[in-house]
Amino acid sequence: METIRYVISIVSVFVLPLLIVGFPLYGLYKKVPVYEEFVEGAKEGFSVAVRIIPYLVAILFAIGMFRASGAMDFLVEGLRPVLSLLGIPPEVLPMAIIRPLTGSGSAGIVLDMINQYGEDSIFVKMAATMFGSTETTFYVIAVYFGAVNVKKTRHAVPAGLIADATAMILAVYVVRLLFG
Amino acid sequence: MLNYIWAGFIIFSLVFALVADVRDLTTDAYRNEQPLPLTVSFPEGYQAGVRRVPTNVLIDPATYGRFYATDARPDSAYGGYLVNTREGTQLRFEEGVSLPEPLGTIRGFSSSRDDELQGTVQNFRLAPDSLAATAEVVFTPVRFVKLNAITEAAFDFAEVAVELALGLIGVIALFLGLLRIAEAAGIINALVRFTQPVFRPLFPEIPDGHPAMGMIVLNLTANMLGLGNAATPLGIKAMEELQELNPSEDTASNAMVMLLAMNTASVQLVPPVLLVAIMGLQINQLIFAIIIVTMISLIVAVTSAKLLGRLPGYRKTDPDRLAREAPPPDAPAA
Repeated sequence: METIRYVISIVSVFVLPLLIVGFPLYGLYKKVPVYEEFVEGAKEGFSVAVRIIPYLVAILFAIGMFRASGAMDFLVEGLRPVLSLLGIPPEVLPMAIIRPLTGSGSAGIVLDMINQYGEDSIFVKMAATMFGSTETTFYVIAVYFGAVNVKKTRHAVPAGLIADATAMILAVYVVRLLFG
Repeated sequence: MLNYIWAGFIIFSLVFALVADVRDLTTDAYRNEQPLPLTVSFPEGYQAGVRRVPTNVLIDPATYGRFYATDARPDSAYGGYLVNTREGTQLRFEEGVSLPEPLGTIRGFSSSRDDELQGTVQNFRLAPDSLAATAEVVFTPVRFVKLNAITEAAFDFAEVAVELALGLIGVIALFLGLLRIAEAAGIINALVRFTQPVFRPLFPEIPDGHPAMGMIVLNLTANMLGLGNAATPLGIKAMEELQELNPSEDTASNAMVMLLAMNTASVQLVPPVLLVAIMGLQINQLIFAIIIVTMISLIVAVTSAKLLGRLPGYRKTDPDRLAREAPPPDAPAA
């Protein structure tokens, strides 16, 4: 286990330099006009970023309002009995709900939980595992679909949320199994 | 679905803000227009006619608790000063002191200066030694806190969204440039040939040897290795390739939904940088847990993307299917 992890951590350090240096080098070897091609591709960077803006604004301002209104806290309270049936401790509930909505918000929750329960607490481990196992689904949807101007997302949101919910519940069970 | 969730966020925030504000109004949570009794002491003595007198403000905790019906308690003393004007005397708390609720919220509303709580002084009674006085203070009335808060949040987050998007320009440009080289050099094609057997069943819509597959593989790899910076531009590029195959302009194809689902639940061999930063060495214990969880949730994501796509409602809107059934109008008549 330890060696696998070591190898993975080494690989992950090398991937980016390999891409950034390797692609142009290999291109050169293949007699590609690397500089010209790079500039040609990079030109699109600005328009892609600008294209995302309306989608991100739409998603983020709605989530911001939702948090500011206190509705988020109410949701946490409301879901408490349901989740305790599933064996999910109420302490990690804020994380499970906020994670798909905001990355920085959920980082804040982990920090807050460390202060509240201590670094070694099982709740912190659960919350951190939730954080590491899922994505900021709504952000990803806004950015990925925004980049190609797709507005009708069909089953993307339900599929993403089902995956998120699974990961949240699993995180509780797996952490309990490993550390409980 | 996104329509309803999105509208739900907005409608619920309005409803909740209104409910909270009405509750505050009916219970008069901020004791609008009512005077809070307190004591002020003057370390340098009090002289009538001086415009600005430095003071220490002492609020009796028991009185405070009774007055606002709260468990929050004030500190033993707050710095501040009295300002005498023709219209009367004002008490201003020192800038940025930490105040108990609801004074903290009231401060946000007494606005002329941002971080100063201020109120109008009544019944000012100076002690004989002119070093202290009792007084009553009326603070700025506070109404519709939450309603103001959600409007402010809407404005703030709109700005944050633009900053986020613009902040991506550089990295997106870098990777789009690199990918263009990779395409021209044939790296993407090699990657496609290599990984096709595994990914083909997941993305049946992508034709053989299409570069979209290569971009998807690069995106998922970056994701797995916790390289968020690289994963986003690669994912965007993959989406663009998929959009070229998509007969519809504004409707997601099944392949796009699959890519998205795999992204939200991708296997994490290396946890995200932010989490590592927060957890420090603790993260080592959690990596195994994260890998197990993400592996299972990836399977769930792929299955649910596939199965949901078969539901009649989503089948009806499948752009690939629609295009197959109804040939484009300019197609030659058979």
